[in-house]
Amino acid sequence: MNAKTHYLYPSALFASPEPYQITTILGSCVAVCLWDRVLQIGGMNHYMLPLWNGAGLASPKYGNIAIPALVEKLERMGSEKKNLVAKVFGGGEVISTSNSNFNIGARNIVLAQQTLQELNIRIVAHSYGGSSGRKILFYTKTGEVMHRFIQQTTIEPKENGKI
Amino acid sequence: MKLSDKDLIDELKRRFDENSQALTELKEMASELQRVNKKLTESEKLKSNFISNINNEIVNPFASIVGLAHSLAHLKEGNWEKVKVMAKLIHAEAFSLDFQLKNVFKAAEIEAGEAAPAYSIVNIPEIIDRISEDFKLEALAKEIEIITDVCNEIDFFKTDVDKLSIILNNLISNAIKYSFKKGKIDLKVCLQNSNLEITVTDYGKGISPNNRDLIFDRFERFDSGINTPNRGHGLGLSVTKALIDLLDGHISFETEINKGTKFKVIIPNPGDWVKIDGFTGNPDELFFNQPDIF
Repeated sequence: MNAKTHYLYPSALFASPEPYQITTILGSCVAVCLWDRVLQIGGMNHYMLPLWNGAGLASPKYGNIAIPALVEKLERMGSEKKNLVAKVFGGGEVISTSNSNFNIGARNIVLAQQTLQELNIRIVAHSYGGSSGRKILFYTKTGEVMHRFIQQTTIEPKENGKI
Repeated sequence: MKLSDKDLIDELKRRFDENSQALTELKEMASELQRVNKKLTESEKLKSNFISNINNEIVNPFASIVGLAHSLAHLKEGNWEKVKVMAKLIHAEAFSLDFQLKNVFKAAEIEAGEAAPAYSIVNIPEIIDRISEDFKLEALAKEIEIITDVCNEIDFFKTDVDKLSIILNNLISNAIKYSFKKGKIDLKVCLQNSNLEITVTDYGKGISPNNRDLIFDRFERFDSGINTPNRGHGLGLSVTKALIDLLDGHISFETEINKGTKFKVIIPNPGDWVKIDGFTGNPDELFFNQPDIF
């Protein structure tokens, strides 16, 4: 597949009408991959926390901003919401805590489920929770996502940010 | 199964404890919710202030630049000193405009999720020199001296030069803004465990306790009454914080009322795997297309 590659940083989002291979690495962060079945285009976000609480900039670091922003971005490229499907990854508890307020991974996942349900976008595949990190590869042309688990110590993209 | 009285009482006790813990957590969540709610309402209000601020921040400097450039063009020949003064004023206005706009666009880029680090090998002493030079006029207006101290061992450091400059510009600009007249500002850059450590210290007003939690929020400006000479739109530190996050760094501050504020920024060495775009000294260096001279 000769798609261009894009390494997605945390707090960023990316979508393109051209075929891309988007890569990212997740710990407790969640990445939502949205794919348009009709136009065969897609995009991905990578948020770190579920809700923007008014602190700092209203950036896609927060799920409640990142998911609608990605949908809007695809809509601007001609997508219709009814043609979008979602794949959700990440949200591992790489650091374990006892207070339920701190289970960031789990809260990130719940936010993705709720937000996508409100937007009427079906989650067709997912791999979330657990205690390890993940490396994922999303082909925006076909909607395929490859993913593998990684140990925290190996969370380090190779040269060029590519795999 | 038979339960003894003791088992029963223990179980009851456990459930009561659980209940009261759940209640405490609920209370915490409720107060958090109230706080966030209030903050979001304020955020909307601040956003509309921003629109009216931006009018002053952008329209006024432009008007001065247009006026100054016009006078410059109509100046009599041989008036070299005057030309220099006016050119300096134009530079100062244009520089401040450029600085403000960069913050606005950077904020927009971050909020759109389009900001990504672009690493290169950066000549740190050169960047520090340039920044203290750039702010010289603004500092001079308040008779403030900017004292830079770059540790000997630093020459080149792998980082994002564009983002580093915005971070430093914002910290220095704020330090000037909140300094008293005839003060000084210390800008120190050192290596700490192969990470870049920057401290910017002013000896001015300090940050009042109520405002300490708010300084990294967008559109927050303290002391922003109509009579203050301070410019700005309140994006600076929120952009600074977001850019430092992007570089995986850390920002902290110590402050005391009427004694001053010290900001400390740590920017980690990104490591060897990171791709480098090239060597960079001055990000504002201009390259022109050379017409064929030969």
